Amino acid sequence: MALTGRLGLLALLGAVTPLFLPSWWTLLALWGVLLLGVAADLALAGNVRALRLHRTGDTSVRLGETARVALVVENLGRRRLKARLRDVWPPSAGAAPRTVTVDVPSGERRRVEMTLTPTRRGDRNAITVVVRSVGPLGLAARQLSRPAPWTVRALPAFPSRRHLPAKLARLRELTGQHVALIRGQGTEFDSLREYVDGDDVRSIDWRATARRADVVVRTWRPERDRRIYLVLDTGRTSAGRVGDIPRLDCSMDAALLLGALASRAGDRVDLLAYDRRVRARVEGASRTDLLPAMVHAMAPLDPELLECDAAGMVSTLMARVRQRCLVVLLTELNTAAIEEGLLPLLPRLTARHLVMIAAVADPRVGEMAAGRGDLASVYDAASAERARAERRRLTAELRTHGVEVVDAPPGEIAPALADAYLALKAAGRL
Amino acid sequence: MVTRAPAQSAGAGAGAGGEGKAEPSARQVAGRRWRSARGVVGALLLMVVIAVGLAALRPSGSPEELDPTSPKKDGARALAEILKQRGTPITVARNAGQATAAALPGTVLVVTRSERLTSDDLDRLREAQGDLLLVRPGRDALDALAPEVRNAGPSFDRTAEPGCGLQAATVAGRVTFGEAQTFEAPANATACYRAGEWPRLVQTRSAGRTVTILGTAAFLTNEHLAEEGNASLAMNLAGARSSVVWLIPDKPAAGTEHGDRTIFDMVPFGVWLFFFELVVAVLLVALWRGRRLGPVVAEALPVVVRSAETVEGRARLYRAARARDRAADALRAGARERIVPLLGLPRASAQDPAAMHEIVAAVTLRTDDEEAAVGAALYGPEPADDAGLIALTDVLDALERQVRES
Repeated sequence: MALTGRLGLLALLGAVTPLFLPSWWTLLALWGVLLLGVAADLALAGNVRALRLHRTGDTSVRLGETARVALVVENLGRRRLKARLRDVWPPSAGAAPRTVTVDVPSGERRRVEMTLTPTRRGDRNAITVVVRSVGPLGLAARQLSRPAPWTVRALPAFPSRRHLPAKLARLRELTGQHVALIRGQGTEFDSLREYVDGDDVRSIDWRATARRADVVVRTWRPERDRRIYLVLDTGRTSAGRVGDIPRLDCSMDAALLLGALASRAGDRVDLLAYDRRVRARVEGASRTDLLPAMVHAMAPLDPELLECDAAGMVSTLMARVRQRCLVVLLTELNTAAIEEGLLPLLPRLTARHLVMIAAVADPRVGEMAAGRGDLASVYDAASAERARAERRRLTAELRTHGVEVVDAPPGEIAPALADAYLALKAAGRL
Repeated sequence: MVTRAPAQSAGAGAGAGGEGKAEPSARQVAGRRWRSARGVVGALLLMVVIAVGLAALRPSGSPEELDPTSPKKDGARALAEILKQRGTPITVARNAGQATAAALPGTVLVVTRSERLTSDDLDRLREAQGDLLLVRPGRDALDALAPEVRNAGPSFDRTAEPGCGLQAATVAGRVTFGEAQTFEAPANATACYRAGEWPRLVQTRSAGRTVTILGTAAFLTNEHLAEEGNASLAMNLAGARSSVVWLIPDKPAAGTEHGDRTIFDMVPFGVWLFFFELVVAVLLVALWRGRRLGPVVAEALPVVVRSAETVEGRARLYRAARARDRAADALRAGARERIVPLLGLPRASAQDPAAMHEIVAAVTLRTDDEEAAVGAALYGPEPADDAGLIALTDVLDALERQVRES
């Protein structure tokens, strides 16, 4: 039950009556009239229980875009329903409008169009629909919540997809390259052809040359059907905000670009999100399904405020992949976390796999390092220099273990990671 | 059975998106403030106007009105003097106690300004001896001292003829009343100076004494005493017996035994009900506003901390501890790290103390500075003070720039 402003207004206007008829009976009569009106409204208001609510519309939306969800209100009751209706969503779903007025005659239905502009990644569940059915006099209303479940999944925005065409062009250059300029150990033999000026003399196939009058070179093409395992660290270091977005979101963006690129290059891409347990996993997705599968797996992930269990992650990885693959670990170059967690386990990992670590650098540290002028800025600069030195030391140490390290600010991490992958591919190191 | 109705458009102003909101100008801001405040300003102005109007309409009574010692226009000294000259002694009482003490069976007790009397005072006066002359009595005074006479509203006829058998009135003849109260008199009472149906002077006899009620005080005042038959009527009424006790009560002091009447006692019952109903209305409005349309939705927010927080924290610690040595080391190490690759030396030598001379010599070659100065900048001791630390950053920047440009 709910009262309306009209009832308050009538009570206010009624306050004048005892000035003319100064008696308790005046007031009692006034209240009696108002009470009757309220009772009549409650009795004659449209029945909220007889409503049938269902929804149609989008179930997922890329972060930053707007989803449309329609709520259909069907009145199965005998009375007309005049109501204010609120479709309740969590605040971060960005649902609009907040309330609507609906007028549904008996046996009819109305559509209420809602737009949702989520402000954060993840699943947004419709909580309930609250209907305040106003009586014919407009003095009182019946209010009830009715369930109308729906979920809209806000997917990662993937802003670095604009880099994809450029990286694909690079990839085509690689695959169209008939003479492999760099002889890698893992490059695949493609065919033999006659030597032309400029070919690498090291790629001359002497046996074939001996069989024919011409000098014959081997041609190579970048290997296909390699396996790439993307590992997202969702532990505490991923909760840090770099620029305006959490580090985890930057890592996801980079992982999506690399996944899209690698799947076009004919490689198999798998995804694992891990902190102290497996948070999400995409394995064996086909080339066309990969990106949607990755995006849906990533959508509900939030950073956990836990130290990432590097040993658990490595053993999970070792158990799942037998053959050699490229393990791309998207984490943060945090001295304590890496030195105590990952570094002792690296030999186990690098013995079988090629490991690449991608870390998002904080542009704020760069800004601080450039600070000059007053004492506070100089100490800031000193502290930032110290942080960068530690990072450099850590990077160098990781490289001695044969790990590739990509360290770039949030805007550049995705293309930098893609470039590193392309370089590995061109070198035939996969 | 189910008819499909056109979809109800719920999206508000979907077409107007995409326009950037400009910063409002000062004029727009002022306009918006005015629009939001004009209701309040209007209400305040209205209240001021009403207050001024009420103050203007209120009759201005002076504190000395009907005071038998006051020679002012609204005083009653003229009447008192005449009464004295005519041999009727006049006693002025300033409170009900004095009045009852002075009142004897052969006196006329003139009660003026009865609105200042408390209910205790009225009880005392009821017990007093002698005749009563009530001048413009209030409702309470009338109820207490002449319960059978009722107030019947005001009249504005200036003058009036007696129209009754009362000797004092017939002798006086026409009298100027001005604005006066009229009364509803019982059948056995003498009613004079009627305005329409209701008399302005009523005389009754009850409990062995004469009670005269006057609807106006105007003809008793110094100003109007000389007009028409005013003086005669006043003399005849006040001087009807051997002596006069003139009660003009002072304001009862707050907190005394007489101060038990508060302003709330004078508020009519209807006004109480009005306020009560206002409270009820406010309660209903509060219930209306207080009922939420649906629950408050709580949402678990992901924990997000600024990534550079530890770096900033360390900077503050350096500053708090005045750790110039560590700060200078970090700055020098960072500068060497950037300079060494430019010199064509291996990167690892940047942090290697053994490579110090090599680096200093290479930098000196490419810059205008002395070798000692370069050495002090890149490998020197801790700066002596804060200014030295700030200067060090400038020197390092200059070195780096020169090496880069060489």
